[in-house]
Amino acid sequence: MSTAGVRRGGTALTLIGLAGLIGLFWLSFFWVSTEVNQGVAQRIFYVHVPAAWTSFMAIGISALCSGVYLWLRDERLDRAALAAAEGGFVFATIVLVTGPLWGKIAWGTYWTWEPRLTLTLLLWFIFLGYFMVRGSTEDPEKGKRFAAVVALVGAIDIPFIHVSVLWFRSLHPQPVVAKAEGPTLPQDMLTTLLVGVLVFTVLFFGLFLMRYALEGLRAELQLRERRTSS
Amino acid sequence: MRSFQLRALGPARALGAAVFAAVLTPSVLVAQASGLGQQSLRPYWHVFAAYTLVILLVAAWAFSIGRRLKDVENRLSD
Repeated sequence: MSTAGVRRGGTALTLIGLAGLIGLFWLSFFWVSTEVNQGVAQRIFYVHVPAAWTSFMAIGISALCSGVYLWLRDERLDRAALAAAEGGFVFATIVLVTGPLWGKIAWGTYWTWEPRLTLTLLLWFIFLGYFMVRGSTEDPEKGKRFAAVVALVGAIDIPFIHVSVLWFRSLHPQPVVAKAEGPTLPQDMLTTLLVGVLVFTVLFFGLFLMRYALEGLRAELQLRERRTSS
Repeated sequence: MRSFQLRALGPARALGAAVFAAVLTPSVLVAQASGLGQQSLRPYWHVFAAYTLVILLVAAWAFSIGRRLKDVENRLSD
């Protein structure tokens, strides 16, 4: 597919995602029932959890593309890894700002050094490190390779974040969806959560494709500049 | 009983007590009301802030990509 085609696809998906975001906000403000114990603050759940899912998926894509890039050295894979890492950074930031806002009401504190929070902050720093490592070398090819290794290391953090509430004593609740006996959420809450996951995923892929197209155009520009200088 | 107290206080003191009560009572009521208000409205503010931040961060990323795309396209068309 051409860069223009990728961009068009990205724009279309982003617009669908933005429309979905309005729908998600309507569901979580006007449709879903209020949780008995936590009250209205629990509605943060419908953006916090989908953002966490999206950031995990983003680092997964970034690590997968980085791993294959280290093997095949295909520039398109590096562009995809970079686009996914940027999206992952944005969604991890959403997790880290919405979580404390919910935590202050539910736990009485914005932040505590419990395992899941600490590992999520570590993931955010790994994303940050990805960009810093990428830009810190004089040879861009070397920077791409180092960043690919950082993305692979970041992916190791994901399973630990998931099992941290099972392995350690944590303020975070036990899983309510991804569990062996099936989800234990009430149906309307589960529906709203799944809509949130779908909307954030569509939004991520829309912006991911646009970011990927941007890197394609940058490569085209660099090639043109090299040709004119030689 | 009330008239006895007023007479015992004297007109100046009675006026002072009335002014004191007039100032104190609303301020206590306001303080109590704002405390109760903060307690009950705080979760709403947090939900509002969380959803606003989601919109702002997604919009910032989208605008940032759009701006960079436009810049590269302009340089390509030159």
